[in-house]
Amino acid sequence: MSSPISNQIRRLRFEHGEMTQSELAEKIGMTRQTVAAIEAGKYSPSLEAAFRIAQVFDAPLEQVFQWAG
Amino acid sequence: MSFREKAAWITLVVLLLCFGLYFGAIATHRISGKGWASVHLLMQCVAAFIVLQIGLTLAARWTTPRDGRSPRDEREQLIVSRSHTVGYYVLMVLTLVIGVPFHAGLPAVVLVNLALLDVVVAGLVVAVAQIVMFRRGF
Repeated sequence: MSSPISNQIRRLRFEHGEMTQSELAEKIGMTRQTVAAIEAGKYSPSLEAAFRIAQVFDAPLEQVFQWAG
Repeated sequence: MSFREKAAWITLVVLLLCFGLYFGAIATHRISGKGWASVHLLMQCVAAFIVLQIGLTLAARWTTPRDGRSPRDEREQLIVSRSHTVGYYVLMVLTLVIGVPFHAGLPAVVLVNLALLDVVVAGLVVAVAQIVMFRRGF
């Protein structure tokens, strides 16, 4: 079952100097596998983790995550 | 593969290896379920389980130092929590199932081995559940 939450993490990573999943993972205190799962829509992060990711990209939360319903 | 997934694989393989050896010997009557021979074999298998589990986990930590030293992140915590919930229900059901041979009057040594088998099966289920969730993302 696909998550109702979509995200723009992949695009944002490439727009921020082709940041790798490992680099993003290190910045938000998670494993690369967890970032990969979030990016693929297989795991919905907690609100705190979502804000951390948005903070890394210096973007509002709704620009990173969208509710697809 | 992350350190936590490696740790789940290690638990699965070491459980299968060590307790498979013990229950295999009991099931094929290579060793009697009664007496000190089976107790010695069980103690050897438990000792081997502890040594292998610790040794291989340390080796896995050495090969993935970043993952190995950092605490579990939220997804890993959820995976551990869910897998233990599954394992708990498996253990409860198997414990209730033991009630049948208990009332059938089977010898105590058989019941003890069945109880031990329950714990091992629950441990295997926890490890498999973790591996499945790590593999599919969650």
